Amino acid sequence: MPQVIIDDQTYEFEGQHKLLQFIQDLGKEVPFFCYHPSMTAPANCRQCMVKVGQFVKDRESGEYELDDDGKKVIRWFPKLQTSCNIDVSDDMIVHTQETDELVRRAQKDNLELILINHPLDCPICDQAGECPLQIQTYKYGPEGSRFEVKKVHKPKRVVLGPRVILDAERCINCTRCTRFTEEISKTHQLTITSRGDKNYPTTAPGREFNDPYSLNTVDICPVGALTSADFRFRARVWEMNQTPSIDITNGKGCNVDLWTRDNLVLRITPRYNGNVNDHWMPDEGREAYKIFNENRISRPLQKLDGEQILSSWNNAIATFNEQVESRDKKEILFIGSPHASVEENYSLQQFANLMGINDVVFTTHTESGKGDGFLLTDDLAPNTNGCRLLDLKELDQKELKNRIKKATLIVLANDQFIDRELFSDSDVDGKYLISFATNLSETTKSSDLVIPITTAAEHAASYVNVDGRIQRTIPAKETKYSNRSLNLEMSVGRLDRYGTNFDNWVSEDNKIDCIPLWNFITEVANASGLELNFEDGRSIISEISAKRKAFENVSYDRMDAEAGIQLSLNNTTEKSKVK
Amino acid sequence: MSTVDWKKYEPVLIPDIKDLHKIDVYEKNGGYQALKSILTDKKKWADPKSVVNEVKDANIRGRGGAGFNAGLKWSFMPPADGGPRYLACNGDESEPGTFKDRKIFEFNPHLFIEGALIAAYAMEITTIYVYIRGEYLTYIKMMEKAIQDAYDKGYIGKNIVDSSFSVDFYVHSGAGAYICGEETSMLESLEGKRGYPRVKPPFPAQKGLWGRPTTINNIETLSHVPAVINRGSAWFKNIGSPTHPGPILYGISGHVNKPGVYELPSGIPVLDLINEVAGGIRNGKKLKAVIPGGSSTPILRADQLEGITMDADSLRTVGSMLGTAGMVVMDEDTDMIDVLWRIAHFYHHESCGQCTPCREGTGWLEKILLKIKNGEGEVRDLDLLLDVTTQMEGRTICALADAAAWPVRFTINRFRDEFEARCKKSVHAIA
Repeated sequence: MPQVIIDDQTYEFEGQHKLLQFIQDLGKEVPFFCYHPSMTAPANCRQCMVKVGQFVKDRESGEYELDDDGKKVIRWFPKLQTSCNIDVSDDMIVHTQETDELVRRAQKDNLELILINHPLDCPICDQAGECPLQIQTYKYGPEGSRFEVKKVHKPKRVVLGPRVILDAERCINCTRCTRFTEEISKTHQLTITSRGDKNYPTTAPGREFNDPYSLNTVDICPVGALTSADFRFRARVWEMNQTPSIDITNGKGCNVDLWTRDNLVLRITPRYNGNVNDHWMPDEGREAYKIFNENRISRPLQKLDGEQILSSWNNAIATFNEQVESRDKKEILFIGSPHASVEENYSLQQFANLMGINDVVFTTHTESGKGDGFLLTDDLAPNTNGCRLLDLKELDQKELKNRIKKATLIVLANDQFIDRELFSDSDVDGKYLISFATNLSETTKSSDLVIPITTAAEHAASYVNVDGRIQRTIPAKETKYSNRSLNLEMSVGRLDRYGTNFDNWVSEDNKIDCIPLWNFITEVANASGLELNFEDGRSIISEISAKRKAFENVSYDRMDAEAGIQLSLNNTTEKSKVK
Repeated sequence: MSTVDWKKYEPVLIPDIKDLHKIDVYEKNGGYQALKSILTDKKKWADPKSVVNEVKDANIRGRGGAGFNAGLKWSFMPPADGGPRYLACNGDESEPGTFKDRKIFEFNPHLFIEGALIAAYAMEITTIYVYIRGEYLTYIKMMEKAIQDAYDKGYIGKNIVDSSFSVDFYVHSGAGAYICGEETSMLESLEGKRGYPRVKPPFPAQKGLWGRPTTINNIETLSHVPAVINRGSAWFKNIGSPTHPGPILYGISGHVNKPGVYELPSGIPVLDLINEVAGGIRNGKKLKAVIPGGSSTPILRADQLEGITMDADSLRTVGSMLGTAGMVVMDEDTDMIDVLWRIAHFYHHESCGQCTPCREGTGWLEKILLKIKNGEGEVRDLDLLLDVTTQMEGRTICALADAAAWPVRFTINRFRDEFEARCKKSVHAIA
């Protein structure tokens, strides 16, 4: 097998590799800025320099040439090579900064050059703390600068588009952002303008950077040149907790990180998953932080004399049971939701089944033409396939309307029917509508009983995306009833682990008075004497996986280990309709 | 080394013939004979390969500055696969001190066109682009006219001189960027993109214009081809220096009495070129320094020039290069700090900004030099300058960083006394 010697260690390899990626995959490090594994390597930052050589072989005999000491003769490349764009080849010898003074010097020189026109305004820069330039300067940079003349001044606070703001002085011209719009989002909206040390990325004159994926350029910017209009100056990165989760704003289920502080989700960034979203996510998904923070329902709401008032949980449970028990089973309609998780839909379904109601229905939430074949989908709900795999009955608008007409009590799991104009207020007139909901909406306004439930940022639950991949969330923010240090499912950040009470950013004010849907179901079931006990998402999914063929062998541990599990969608005939 | 007998040389690139730029006059003077010969004389030129071999044998070293054997470069083209193949002719000449190709555009455009057509035939190329710097507006128009005339006469287009060889020829105007004279950024510019040099490999012969095999030649290089075909490689090799044969267009500028472009054999003594061809230093001053081949080639002091001839090997012995043979002559009154600052200013202005060392380094060099020029420098700044040049050299995608670093490095090394004297007189020294 071909071999490569990196820093005096021999590694075997197969196939084609770029040296930088190869070194990274070994768990070693070479500093770089412009390289990105999902895009072409322009080799323009010149930071990933290494020394590369080859053993000399005699052309005729094919034998290695040996020097006087019997060691193989090495022919070094005359110049240092950028490791990002050189192929790993057999008999290659590589010296990185760990073993070679020349490489160390070259990397230090390069950082000195990058920094001469960089404003060094880290104390007020949003990127500080997660800035490759900052990190690598500490690791490989010079002790100081010998630059004693005037820095170049370039435009600052340039509003490139509705979501992205540019500080050209911070830019190191790595062209990651322009390559992103050329190669990934293919809108070609960004280009480098001007020349030499005056150049910076911008849009064509008079055009705005409104790419539906524009915020990815903020993520991949290795400095603070591109910042998010929404997030800039909101928080320092080290004050936030980072929790792996998934995007719930469409059917793709992009893997994301939720960044929380003070029990608020401050920003959402994509998390790598080669099977789903690679390194990217649409801008729309990042707006979801508003769903988690704003307009939330805290404490149950109950309509009395036509007016909604805050109620208590005991009251809500009693009212729920009263309403259910006072009616004929045929008049009760349970509606699941593609916006709710597999666990939530399952618990609702189980409850209905126990009561002798066998068909729990749902309807999809799609908008045709919304999908772009990349990360945006026509399906606007995160769990449509989850509902199908649970054998919820899929109804179209007309069918559902008929069912609603026949029912007198409707139990709705987190779907905003009236806001989506599927129905109007008059359709539920004279009927008792119980809504499980996360946010206030027109639908909750028309509801007679509103049960506040947890969002994807507050519970561990799983969602099946348009391609049939089941992935799960991890609670990122606390509710009134959960606690970072007690809830084992919750993510633990650096400050949770090492901080004192004074430097941990957890505010009671932003905790929502809500519980997971399955917990409420358990409460009402127990209150009416039904045998039902749902503790948490983890146990529900193991129950589902034991009982339902479609979810065989599915568990949180497997989802975590394999970054989601591909389920078979064979039985869901509607799949082709929603893409 | 025997001295080259340049006085008897008769020019072939820009001979003194009235209205040679007109196609009729060109034809009357033996024009397009070489093209006709390779297309029709199957005995002499059996296949395109034979043309490549003849040119390779002539050892026309690329006149754009790199000095690589043109025929050898042609032979790197992969075998034709039926897809498009390109010849990109580099007429961007933007290097300060270089102004030779414009003479060809102006006085003998058809010679270049014929050379390019022969090259296209030899490499089975389908399309030729000639990239001319945007400032040469007059010459762009002249080239367009010449190409149109050649189309009309059937030398370009479908089935040239009733053979099966067809080729298209386009003029492409640059937009004022020095970097587009670098071959791969010229390709980017031809494709309509921003003029950023490409990472090599892949080399243009494998993946050039639009990912297709492409050869890039200088205008002067291609203009030598018709004569090589007509008179044979032996004739060409006999002219001038044996290792760097053939005529060269010397562009002489600066403090001489008769600046201009002169067509003479390679390898003529530098001092002959200044004193006899260019009529000596003006006002009877003494020679101080010479930049032999365009602003990026290392500067030479007058005392280094004895016995040095204008070819790559001889110039290498004193630490310089032939480059484009665009010679800048400076008399004793020249302020080297001014000269160097001006050169550094040029490279700072022209760096494309793609690679870090060049983008940042060229500006840093200029700013320090400006400081010294303004009398605010210190001696340690000279060492800093030299340090910055080592930080730039050989660490970028193209050679612009080297081209910017060399003049600084060599001018300071060769005129260190002058620089130190200025620094010692600066405000810092007085304070």
